[in-house]
Amino acid sequence: MDIFFQLLTTSLLLGGIYALMSVGLTLIFGVMRVVNFAHGEFIMLGMYLAFWGFTLYHLDPYVILLFSIPLFLAIGFLLYGMVMRGIIAASHNVQIFTTVGLSIALQNLALVLWTGDFRFVRLDYSKTVFRFWRSYVNLPQLIAFAIAAVLMLTLFALLRWTHFGKVVRATAQDREAAILMGIDPDRIHRLTFAMGITCAGVAGVLVSPLYSVYPTAGLQFVLIAYVVVVLGGLGNMIGALLGSLIVAGVEVMGSFLLGTAWKEVLYFLVFLLVLIFRPAGLLGQRGAETLGA
Amino acid sequence: MKRRALRSIRFFSMPAILMVCVGILSLKPVAGQEFEGAYKIGILEPLTGPLAFEGKRHLEGFEIAREMINEQGGVMGKRLVFAVADAPDPTAAANEVNRLVTQEGVKIIVGTYSSTLCGAASSAAARHNIIYWETSCVDPRYAQRGLKNVYRTEIDANGFAWYMVEFTAKYLAPKLGKSPDELKVAFLSEDSSYGQGTTEAARKRAKEEFQMQEVSVDYYAALTTNDFTPILLKLKQAGPDILMAIGRGNDAILFWKQAKEKDLQVQALVSAGATGYGSPDFGKALGKDANGVFALLEPGPGFKIEALSPEGQQLERGFRERVEKQAGAVYGGHQLAGAGLWLLKIVLDKAQSDDPEKFRQAVLSLDLPVGSFLNGWGVKFQENGQNAGERVQHYMLQWQDGNLVTVWPEEFTTYRMKWMPFPPWDQRQ
Amino acid sequence: MQTKPPFRLRLLPYGPGLIYFGMIALTPWVIRDAYFLDTLILILLWGALAGAWNVAGGYAGQVSLGHAAFFGLGAYCAVLSTVFWDFSPWLGMLLGAVLSTLAGLVIGYLSNRLRGPYFALATIAFAQMLLIVFSRWRAVTMGSEGLPVPFRTGLINFGFTTKPPWLFLALGFALLVYAVSVFLERSRLGYQLAGVREDEDAAQALGIPTRRLKVIAVVLSAFLTSICGTFWAQYIGFVDPFYVFSVDLSVRFALMAIIGGVGTALGPFFGSLLITSLESYLRATLSGVQSGLTGIYLIIYGGLLIIVVRFLPQGLAVWLAQRLRKGGKRGVTADA
Repeated sequence: MDIFFQLLTTSLLLGGIYALMSVGLTLIFGVMRVVNFAHGEFIMLGMYLAFWGFTLYHLDPYVILLFSIPLFLAIGFLLYGMVMRGIIAASHNVQIFTTVGLSIALQNLALVLWTGDFRFVRLDYSKTVFRFWRSYVNLPQLIAFAIAAVLMLTLFALLRWTHFGKVVRATAQDREAAILMGIDPDRIHRLTFAMGITCAGVAGVLVSPLYSVYPTAGLQFVLIAYVVVVLGGLGNMIGALLGSLIVAGVEVMGSFLLGTAWKEVLYFLVFLLVLIFRPAGLLGQRGAETLGA
Repeated sequence: MKRRALRSIRFFSMPAILMVCVGILSLKPVAGQEFEGAYKIGILEPLTGPLAFEGKRHLEGFEIAREMINEQGGVMGKRLVFAVADAPDPTAAANEVNRLVTQEGVKIIVGTYSSTLCGAASSAAARHNIIYWETSCVDPRYAQRGLKNVYRTEIDANGFAWYMVEFTAKYLAPKLGKSPDELKVAFLSEDSSYGQGTTEAARKRAKEEFQMQEVSVDYYAALTTNDFTPILLKLKQAGPDILMAIGRGNDAILFWKQAKEKDLQVQALVSAGATGYGSPDFGKALGKDANGVFALLEPGPGFKIEALSPEGQQLERGFRERVEKQAGAVYGGHQLAGAGLWLLKIVLDKAQSDDPEKFRQAVLSLDLPVGSFLNGWGVKFQENGQNAGERVQHYMLQWQDGNLVTVWPEEFTTYRMKWMPFPPWDQRQ
Repeated sequence: MQTKPPFRLRLLPYGPGLIYFGMIALTPWVIRDAYFLDTLILILLWGALAGAWNVAGGYAGQVSLGHAAFFGLGAYCAVLSTVFWDFSPWLGMLLGAVLSTLAGLVIGYLSNRLRGPYFALATIAFAQMLLIVFSRWRAVTMGSEGLPVPFRTGLINFGFTTKPPWLFLALGFALLVYAVSVFLERSRLGYQLAGVREDEDAAQALGIPTRRLKVIAVVLSAFLTSICGTFWAQYIGFVDPFYVFSVDLSVRFALMAIIGGVGTALGPFFGSLLITSLESYLRATLSGVQSGLTGIYLIIYGGLLIIVVRFLPQGLAVWLAQRLRKGGKRGVTADA
């Protein structure tokens, strides 16, 4: 029984982290209708930010978190103007390969600047473990989960109950109608994109004490994020949350029962099954995937 | 008239660009053995791409060994110089081999760290009929392809596994008061060619030769595994005495950290190789918690340099000093590269020629005992170009207070192992 | 009644292509340098692969980021059939092509369920799954250790010690892909595919069997990619699952096709020429420098991809041809 609770706790903590990584992706898609293939690179950049802040200035990642938010927002605005603005109305090809090109450029920028060495953020308290009910919980993991949860709740609240949130949701639902209502979609897109990659960057900072930092680190996370958002329904935030819990659960249970060798196959299989049978995802709008929208 | 002219322009635009690109490529001067009094060999390592972190270390090791070689007169009376090439993937590796041979004019290529690269590179080199000198890849099939001028100075995955199991069966088992067939062994490995090759060979030897009881086998993707909890729970249930683990990098650190958190209790952890548990990063990251873990490596502190021949001692000391100064720590990559290159020098000194036939004769004629040069290696090549396992002495090191110290074989070292079997986590010093 | 223009004029659009391949065919008599010939072979090979991708991605508009799946299947089947049954690699190539065709049918089916980015994600997942399976299936593929390709000389064994035979073989593969592309451009099938690409719903409304056509395009693309994968395996000599099924490789095929000219027959070859030669050159020049500078060319490619796909969507090949033709004249001309 202990094992079950341990697995459950691990799934929960892992799910929280996956959710934070995925929520940005789904937000960007929901509003801009663009799949950001470079999403993983922003997670990677967040990890490097935490690493350098920690190594050079001995700042705790959670302190770095505070100024990573404005930093990534700024990067988001910049990149939006430079790269993303022109592709909103363009064909899928353009959208896909612009973000793929961005992904390649960012990965190799990191490689050139910081080499391919594996780095890590070693905190003094990263070995602290709590005995939580009947399972063990690792402190950085717990903090990552807690902060992720807070950030996501804030995001949800923002989208649900503020005027700004309403405006964003309106743009997501129907861009033309929003324009007619006097909303400037360009501004909303810019803000959303910046928010989306900020979520990714923050997720990167949070997980830096947990995983190695290296230029292609984004790839491992973004694949999971894809599965999560497709599972939950592209554009649906609650879906992303649900999706991440499911993916984390499948991963953890699968590794335990079948051995870790096949866990990736498991969630890719889930991914492909979802794409075949219910491509809109659990909570997505049916048919969204064939509208090309 | 004009239209035809314009049309011709379009016609030739494409091939014109082709010519330009062609031109760029052939502008690279055919260097050949340019300097008088210098002998050039090709160095092929992954300097970009996912394997770059190890490739860089190998290159450093080569450079330092080269300095030392040149101080001792170089090779065949000439100063040794390098033509360095980057091989991020197998296609690039083969392409660069061609470049090194035709554009740089080298007759010997040294490389390449990774199994996929050495396979492609040695194939390409064999087609040019030049000498390929591998210092590190561990693919067991490398030497089985019947290629005459392809050699390897380091043992392969089978060799690593041989030593791991040897250590466990002949040294650890008695200390635990058990015979090898009473030992319960679990295997955990990252799933690259290195991990799979070594682990499968270890499983085979453990089962066939010593009848050890295998209680669990797990492979995981080193870079995408975020959490070892499921594996740890499985291991706790299986209850092995010995855990044979191969790691790649941070996965080793992550696993051992989580093993402490989840209170996994084994008698010993035995690993092999300079990555993962055997990397200086492991000790740096875990501090005291790394204590007690074993890793099969090139020799570290405690290594009775006095057990080497006088010449070997001098080499070993000199090499270590310089590597420490340059890289801050001596990594396995440095040691493999340095010893491999030094061995090449020995062969060239004997053969006094880079003619493949004469070279091969010299290679096969070498017979130096263990302790002769860097890393305490000896040399005796087999017919297939592989340096024999018994000469390429490998050592079991153990993490003790932030350092990997040599603990086995006992005649080579002043240190002895501690904390075997592991006491409970909170009692470990 | 319309008479066909004289043969000379009809050949006109293929002028550059014929000259391009013709010049390559003549090189072994002019240049003996193995490195040069090797790079040329790679240019042809990557060009063929980009062209194969282009059949699905360019002509049919089905953007796949998982073509490495077919490449890897072609590579593995060749080496496995030689290792296990002592077959000629050509038979292995056929086997690989059959398997890839089946895989192509699956992907084609998916392309009818999903559009745009969803489809791209599905192809990524598919290739990743194959990667994981082939890197764990030790019994057959020796898992992540990969497989060395047995090298035997002779045409039947798909192995040669000198470069020129490889070059001609590569030329053959490239010409095959080129011919298929040209056929698609000129035929009714291609015409209909263009309709599917531009506006699938409209095409469907016109009675074009879009679903079937998309599957055909993907299957064709898979077949061509697979046979090139076999060539690669025989040429390079080592099959590593982490490389042959990698996302990087898939992106590479697409990248070359797009930068060169998506939807044109020669575009992918041009893209390959540009990228492969630049890559080789930079790698050779910067290798000695002990820094990560060699990674710069990939940053350039990333940037180039963004620029081309945004501002020069027809690709560099066509753009250059237009620029050179107009001789610098600006303005809208009828023959854009």
